[in-house]
Amino acid sequence: MIPLSHFLIIAAVLFSISVAGMFLNRKNMLVLLMCIELMLLSVNMNFVAFSYYLGDMAGQVFVFFILTVAAAEAAIGLAILVTLFRNRRTINVQELDAMKG
Amino acid sequence: MTFEQLIFYLFSATLVAAAVNLVTVRNPVYAALSLILCFFTSSALWLLLEAEFLGIVLVLVYVGAVMVLFLFVIMMLDLNLDLLKEGFTRYLPIGLLVAVVVAVEMILVVNSGQFQAPYPAAPAPVNNTEALGSLLYTEYVYPFEIAAVILVVAIIAAIVLTLRRRPDARKQDISQQVQVRRADRVRLVKMKSERSE
Amino acid sequence: MPEIFLLSTICLILLIDLFLRDNSRMITYLLTQVAVLATALLAYGAMDGDKITGLYGMYVRDDLAGVLKITILLLTFGVFVYARKYLKDKNIWHGEFYLLGLFAVLGMLVMASANNLLVVYLGLELQALSMYALVAFNRDDGRSTEAAMKYFVLGAVASGLLLYGISILYGLSGRLEIAGVLEYIKSQNVLQNMPLLFSLVFIVAGISFKFGAVPFHMWVPDVYQGAPTAVTMFLGSVPKVAALAMLLRVLAESMGAAQAGWGQLLLVFGLLSVFLGNLVAIAQLSLKRMLAYSTIAHMGFILLGALTGTKDGYSAALFYTITYTMMSAGAFAILILLSRDGFEAESLDDLKGLNERNPWYAFIMMLFLFSMAGIPPTVGFYAKLSIIQSVMHAGYLWPAVFMVVMSVIGAFYYLRAIKMMYFDAPPENVGAVNAELDFNVLISINGILMVLLGIFPSALMSICYLAMNSSL
Repeated sequence: MIPLSHFLIIAAVLFSISVAGMFLNRKNMLVLLMCIELMLLSVNMNFVAFSYYLGDMAGQVFVFFILTVAAAEAAIGLAILVTLFRNRRTINVQELDAMKG
Repeated sequence: MTFEQLIFYLFSATLVAAAVNLVTVRNPVYAALSLILCFFTSSALWLLLEAEFLGIVLVLVYVGAVMVLFLFVIMMLDLNLDLLKEGFTRYLPIGLLVAVVVAVEMILVVNSGQFQAPYPAAPAPVNNTEALGSLLYTEYVYPFEIAAVILVVAIIAAIVLTLRRRPDARKQDISQQVQVRRADRVRLVKMKSERSE
Repeated sequence: MPEIFLLSTICLILLIDLFLRDNSRMITYLLTQVAVLATALLAYGAMDGDKITGLYGMYVRDDLAGVLKITILLLTFGVFVYARKYLKDKNIWHGEFYLLGLFAVLGMLVMASANNLLVVYLGLELQALSMYALVAFNRDDGRSTEAAMKYFVLGAVASGLLLYGISILYGLSGRLEIAGVLEYIKSQNVLQNMPLLFSLVFIVAGISFKFGAVPFHMWVPDVYQGAPTAVTMFLGSVPKVAALAMLLRVLAESMGAAQAGWGQLLLVFGLLSVFLGNLVAIAQLSLKRMLAYSTIAHMGFILLGALTGTKDGYSAALFYTITYTMMSAGAFAILILLSRDGFEAESLDDLKGLNERNPWYAFIMMLFLFSMAGIPPTVGFYAKLSIIQSVMHAGYLWPAVFMVVMSVIGAFYYLRAIKMMYFDAPPENVGAVNAELDFNVLISINGILMVLLGIFPSALMSICYLAMNSSL
């Protein structure tokens, strides 16, 4: 039998990889968006694991909604990205410095 | 080692490897493909946790729709790959440091054994999809409606941001074509006959 | 339920707007305003002092929700009136501004009467997704889309943090409804329970991001500056009420017994915000960025009021939020007045000589700035006073002294702006400023309220207190 903590550890490792990915890919907006998806995946892993070990469906219902919202979020994020690319011809985060102060 | 454990360790290792690949690879297309691998392996782990419906939805919705959207956008934008990875090695130490610190802290906390149920409860008497469905349409009907509204907002927002009426686009307007009068198209010109030399 | 009414009218407006020509866009605007006011009326009708839950315990109707909803809707009404001039001047007079605005408002209403952590999350996302699109609304402007991208990435990360916190909390308690979580927390020794404190850190981080408090403030100046001014005005006022709603529902109501844990975090975040916001604002040349940093400082005050964990503190924070959002919307409205087609008023220099160009607007702007600085007899003074009092009563003496010092320092940059309006010569070749009648009437009422509420604060204060008393 696999204990609960194993699943939680996997989720924690995924979460920290996604945080590190945001540091590493500061320049690449697309990979940044993928890191956000990875972060949500780790949260989902937590919920599914808790749901199974607590014998409570509410966790799975929560995951269902997170999946829905994340899909909507990805659509809007990519739409903003495309508009940005049209205006700037780049998706490099560090060239995004029109505003300072 | 039981069969379950074997599955668990196999897929977990693949999952972590794919996640590491996602954040380090140079080409966004490969990153998107590693994310797809992450979703597939997570879905296998969820099957192990008896969340069959969510496992299938993850593959159908995420791999089938969201990641295709990602790939579509990557192909559409004309990216300069060399520029995108500049400074990668510069941030590598701090990135690694952050990852290790966060991971160690989280593992210490989640491993502390404070959670109520170390072992799974008895499985539900009905199948997973049925159980989830009956909850969604009764107890969770209010969140369900809000989620529907969120999807509408996503549609509207994506259209507002990206739909363009290009002035040079050629299109056919049937009603205009039907309503056209002879006078609009043909002009009768009276000319004096000219004698060719 | 006001939410159902609002959703149905949104769908109706969405359909009608589709068939309208650009020159009859006014119909969308009028329908929107009628919908907002009618929803406010419904929310008022639902206030009867009882606390009722419905929809399988997902939805709660109490006086706190009523006060929050009416504030959100009336503010939205004002913001939409102000925004009309800007949108017309800039040629972005599209129906989608109002539709996305209404969807955001719907999300805020959902948050105000959420009785389950899942509903809090969904309301938050409904509001946030509409906001991301609104910030990018001027899609041919590079700065607008850049601001939207920054806001989107940081906002998505903040939701991720919040969700991770909620997932740990769910694993500990096995509950998602507010009352269930409270029951669990009451049975625990909070400071000994590591995972609980751990999840608190993540949840408080997510909430602080929505307020724009230090250290989660990075997005505020850039988004305020890059977004079209009409959107900045919306973003700088109404969602702050929703953020307070989230704080009250999640921290005060469901995790009230864990105040010893989150109080410490809010204390640090609040003091840092008050400090950094006021100091950095002094160095700003852009008026929009200055107002952004001043927002950070004001949000610090609200967090400090809420950290006390007492009903006095909560009602002072509610009072502060209501009055601050009014003055913030008003100040941005004056900025809109100064913008013209092809010219975006955003630098401090644009305020110069406003008194010569239009003395009445200059006077109103002075009231807003006095109120932000906390100078009597404006309402800002009383709001700051009540927060500081409740912080002192809760036993935090040094933070209270620090807040007084920082608000004195903060008064400097507001007074500098007033000096520019009254004593500097206007820039060359600018004419008088003027607007349509509805704009003028509303901004005058808005400005005069700053003084009236400052002299007679007790009516609003008692409403805030009663709402807290009957709901928490």
